[in-house]
Formats: sequence, structure tokens, C-alpha cells
Amino acid sequence: MARERVSQADEWQAWAQRYDIEGGIRTFESGLTVKVFFGALFVGLLMMPGAIYLNFVSGQSGAEAAPWVAVILFTELARRSFTTARRQELYMLLSLTGAAVGSGLQYRSFIWYAYFVNTPQAASYEIADKIPAWIVPAGDSVGVLTRSLLHPDWFLPIAVYLAGKLLGTLRFVSGQYILFRLTADLERLPYPMAPITAQGATALAETTGKEETWRWRVFSIGSMAGLIWGFLYIGVPSLTGVMMSQPIQILKIPWIDFTQSIESFAPTGVFALRTDFGQMLYGFVLPFPIIMTEFVTAMASQFILNPQILYRYEVLHQWSPGLDVRAVGLFNNLDFWMSYGLGKSFSLALVGIAASVPMLIKLRKSQKKAGERGSFGTPPNRGDFPIWLMGIMWLIGMGGFIWLIHWMVPNFPLSFLLGFAFLYTPINSYITARTYGVLGRDLFEIPYLHEITFILSRYEEVDIWFAPLPDEDYGRGTQGWRVLELTGTTFTSNLAGTLLIMPILLVCGIIVLHFIWKIAPVPSAQYPFAQMMWPINATNECLWKTSLRDGNSEMLQAIRGDYVSAGFTSSLAIYGILWVFKLPSMWFYGIIGGIGADPGSMVARLLGAIIGRFYMIKRFGMRRWYMFNPVLAAGFICGVGLIGMGTVAIALVSKAVIVKPF
Amino acid sequence: MEKLASLIIIIGTFLWLFSILVLEGRWQWQMFSALVLTVGIFTAHFWEELRDTDDTEE
Repeated sequence: MARERVSQADEWQAWAQRYDIEGGIRTFESGLTVKVFFGALFVGLLMMPGAIYLNFVSGQSGAEAAPWVAVILFTELARRSFTTARRQELYMLLSLTGAAVGSGLQYRSFIWYAYFVNTPQAASYEIADKIPAWIVPAGDSVGVLTRSLLHPDWFLPIAVYLAGKLLGTLRFVSGQYILFRLTADLERLPYPMAPITAQGATALAETTGKEETWRWRVFSIGSMAGLIWGFLYIGVPSLTGVMMSQPIQILKIPWIDFTQSIESFAPTGVFALRTDFGQMLYGFVLPFPIIMTEFVTAMASQFILNPQILYRYEVLHQWSPGLDVRAVGLFNNLDFWMSYGLGKSFSLALVGIAASVPMLIKLRKSQKKAGERGSFGTPPNRGDFPIWLMGIMWLIGMGGFIWLIHWMVPNFPLSFLLGFAFLYTPINSYITARTYGVLGRDLFEIPYLHEITFILSRYEEVDIWFAPLPDEDYGRGTQGWRVLELTGTTFTSNLAGTLLIMPILLVCGIIVLHFIWKIAPVPSAQYPFAQMMWPINATNECLWKTSLRDGNSEMLQAIRGDYVSAGFTSSLAIYGILWVFKLPSMWFYGIIGGIGADPGSMVARLLGAIIGRFYMIKRFGMRRWYMFNPVLAAGFICGVGLIGMGTVAIALVSKAVIVKPF
Repeated sequence: MEKLASLIIIIGTFLWLFSILVLEGRWQWQMFSALVLTVGIFTAHFWEELRDTDDTEE
């Protein structure tokens, strides 16, 4: 029997509809209230530091957990106070907490560069003394040696960061809003993934009402599982780290490396079992075909492609026995996979354009017929802003940003900055906004854009690698505005909330980072993930930052045209063959994600996907399971987050008190 | 048009395999195969999307 052909847009939206269990609402209310303001204060004072600390300890930021923790505590407070929380309030809190945690991680670069400037790698690559003062003070400065962010040495890097933050807020708010109006109001793109985020806020808002629904039960089950797992994975190492010099890890963080065990039959293969089994929950939520194809392709890469083909034909030639996953991964990347990955990314861009151009034409046709699109009209009381005002805001933000970059790197050609700001950024953002609007994900990315720019500009100083460039993407942020619309939250209240929380976070972030850094050097035994990963990251950063020096670049020499072409063409061939045989286009994204990747990092997600597909769906039915699993996942990350935040608080207090015995 | 798109994609895939196995993976031949595949994929998507519009209009 011939297989029926399903278009890519229909295929993806069919998946999105599985999660979309109710329509959006169209009455708008402010989400910003005094209660939310105090919730935001809570976020600023507790969540962000916890997220930074977690990142150093386990490599997980808690960025996904923290907003849910804030919201669940907020709803509990509401219940205990015999009051209710509206979904607008909860979504506002969710959004502000997400912003808070994200901001906290941005500050991490201060600590990273304070470490990097004194690494042997930076010294041996002769860039330690060339790192600009607006990134980090000199390696022998008091501010770095005494680990004090409040020392005057740090004034310049912090001032530059704050200026960038202010200008960035202007650009991102206005840029995202303009694109949202274009894609959601004018073109009426569906934004299929936006309802998923709205579901979480709805689930929790219901719990403060008089009647409890299934959502609360499912959320609680997820939370309990998260609490247990979080205690074993994060709680035990963090709490024992307070009392012992070497923390006890029940499961080794972040992985158990089997690379040396497989090298006898799969030389150049890597297999490091990622021990974060919380990833199983993502396996429940993500589409099954993507996870399966990703894993099968990764296994084939590491056990057949790498050892039997690429190693045998000496494409992978730097490998030697006895190397661990990090070294094998680095050598394999330099020998082949980096080039292949470059071509693979270009193919994603091309496939995205090929899929979206006909969709655009189709939309325009149906638009004329229905007569609904093509209008900039907005729903009443949504709290919209004048487009011209947003345009001016964007111009001011971008103009100021270019001036700032020009001040940082005065000899870098201004024409490149202007090209990025006024040509690349709008086009890139519009394409991404469209792909989010139709497929709910990003498909367009030009890899190694900075490197290509630096080569073309013939600028050879190292400082440009530390400067931000105005190649931005506002497209993915448009989905957030759509979620605001679906939850019925006024745009003005969201903007007010963002502006309200920003100064709180700016102050809290610096103080807390200072405090965490004072406790122990980063990296050190107290922060196992940083201790394991930062040295290798420093090597990678040195390789990149010196890659264009004297035209003798290890990284650029690693990029070979024939391997890039192989990545590009083979990916297109895979996509084409899947289309010819009417197989799901999701397989393509799974194959592309899995090829060359470490299958050990996918085991937990695979387990989750198999349990979901072969047990849960049979047990609960397809529709109920897809109703349950986003709420279950939200509950789980909330439970892990609660444990993470609790242990972090205990560890911080203990370490603050017991610094030295005398 | 569906068969045409399939034919172009299959030709592009064989060209790429040929360039790898016989022409030592030279990037020029690989990129030529990529061009053929690109034409095939664009043809496929145009047919896929516009086919539905034609059906609706009918």
C-alpha cells in the first residue's frame, strides 16, 4: 500500500496540536501586581544565585527549574492565604524568573575570564596579556588575585556590561515586538509551540481555585519524582561537599566515561554515559521519531562510521589509545567532525529556506482568499505600542551599541558593524521569526559567521574576539509575545515588569557572584563541573582566539572544503531520500542531530521516549498522555529545582560561616 | 512534478556517492551534487505546498 505524503508543515503542526489541548483566550489583563513584584524580588534574591552556583557545581543552570520553583511557591502562598493567582500573574512571574536566571548566567563571564586570564593555556598561546581591560582586569591585578568583584579594578568591565545590557534591552524589546506584529498580526502565523508554555501557567493557576483538576495531581507526581532524583543527583554531592574535601557522588557528574572500554573494537568511538537521568522527562515530551533516529544515528557514528570507515581510511588520524571522551572528541572534531558539522549547518539553513519559501507563497495565496491577513489591526486592550516608537527605540539601541563596539575596537572596520546591524540582523531575525511562527523552531543559522567576518575584514588583533558583534536574532523572542497573547497578559504589564526587575538583578548578580567567588576559587574541588570542563574550554577558547593569527590557524586548518561539502551534500541527500520515500521529515532532524554525536549523552532521553511510547501511551491513551507530559515535566523540573535551591542555600550558608577555623 | 522531484533527488544522491567513491570526494563534484539536490528539494517543496492550494481552490 502506498504511503500517504504529508507536508512538513502539516507534520510538525500535527505534533504541536497533540500538546495544544485548549484554545487561547482573548481577554487581556495586567500580570504585574504587588504580589508579582514581591515574587520578582524573591527571584532576584534567591533563584539567580542558586542558578549560578548550580552551574559551577553540576553544569546545570537550573534555568528551566527556577521559574517553576518560583511559581509553585507563589501559588502555595496564594493557597495558604485563601486567595487566588491569575494565569496572567503566574505567566508574568514565570517570564520574569526566566529572565532573572538568564541574566545571572550572563554574569558568569566575569569569573570565567578571571580564570582564563591566568591559565597556562592563555599564557602559552600569548593572549593572556592581550585580553582587553573592558573584559577583565589584568591577571596580576588585586581584583583578580583577591577574587573580589567589588574591587575598583572591575569598574570598567562592569560599566561596559551595564551599558550593553541597557542598550540590549532597548533593541530586543523593540526588535521582537516589531517582528511579532509582522508575523503574528500581519501574516497570522500560528506559532504552534507557544501553547505549551501557556499550559504550565494555566495548570498552576488552576490550583489556587476552589476545584483541583488533573493538572495538580500530575504536577505533584512529577514534583515528587523530581525531589527524589534531585536529592540523589544534586543534593548528596552538594551537602557532602560542605562537610568533606571530596564530595560524594552517587552517580558521577556529569558522565561515566566508557570511551577507553570500547576502544579495542571501536577505536575513535566515544561513549560517555550522561548521568543526568532527569533527561528522561525530555524523552517523554519530545517527539519519539526524533529521539530514536538521533540515538540510532549516534550509535552508527561511533561504532561503525568512526572506527570502520573514517579511522580505517585515516580521516581520523590524531587518535591514539588511552584517551578519554574529551580528548577523543577534540581530536575527532579537528580531524573531521567540525568541518562536517559546518556543512551540516548550511544544509539546515537551505532546507529551512526550501520549506518556508513555498509556505510563504501558499500563505499569501490563502491570505488573499480569506481576507483576514494583511492587517496591522490589534486585539483591544492587548497593551500594544506604536510601531514608530519601537522603531526609534531599536535605532537608538542599535546606534548606541555600534558606538560602544567601535569604542572597544576602534580599528575594526565600521562598515562590517553597520552591515551586521542593519542588514544581517533584520534578515536573520525575520527568517527565524517566520520559522518559529510556522514550525516552532529555528532553522536558519550561518555557522562560523564571526570567523568569516574577521578573515574578510583582515583585522588581526585578538581584542575583536572579546567584543560583542551586532549580529542578533530577535526571531525566537517573538514566540514569547505570542505566549503573552495566549495567556491574556497585556504587553504593557510585561514591559513594565521587565524594566522593574532589571535593576534588582543587576545589583544582586554582582553581589552574589562576588560572594560565591570569595568562598572558593572557580574552578576548584568545590565546583566539580567547572573543574572538569573549564580547562578544556580554555584550550578551545585559545585555539579559536588565535585561529586567524599569522594565517596559521589550527582551527581554520581543521576546516577542509571536501569535508564541509560532504556534510552539506550528505545532509541534503538524506533529506531528499527521506522525502522520496515519504518518510517523516522529523527523521532528518534526528539524523542530523545524532550524526557524529555521543550516544551516551542520549541514553536517558531514549529511555524516557521508549517508556512514553510503549507504556504510557498504552496505559493512558495518546491524548491524555500528551496532556499529561508537559505538566509532568514541569512538575519534575520544579522538584529538582526545589532540591537544588534548598541544597544550594544550605551549602552557601555553611561555607559562608565555616571559612577558616581561626 | 512529484516524480520529477524524486528523480532529481535520486540523481543528485547518486552523483554524490559517485563523487565520494570514484572522484576521491573532491569538493567541486560534491557541490555540483548539492546543486542538483537543492533543485530537487525546492521542486519537492513547491509541489508539496502548491498542490494543497490547488486542491483547496478546486
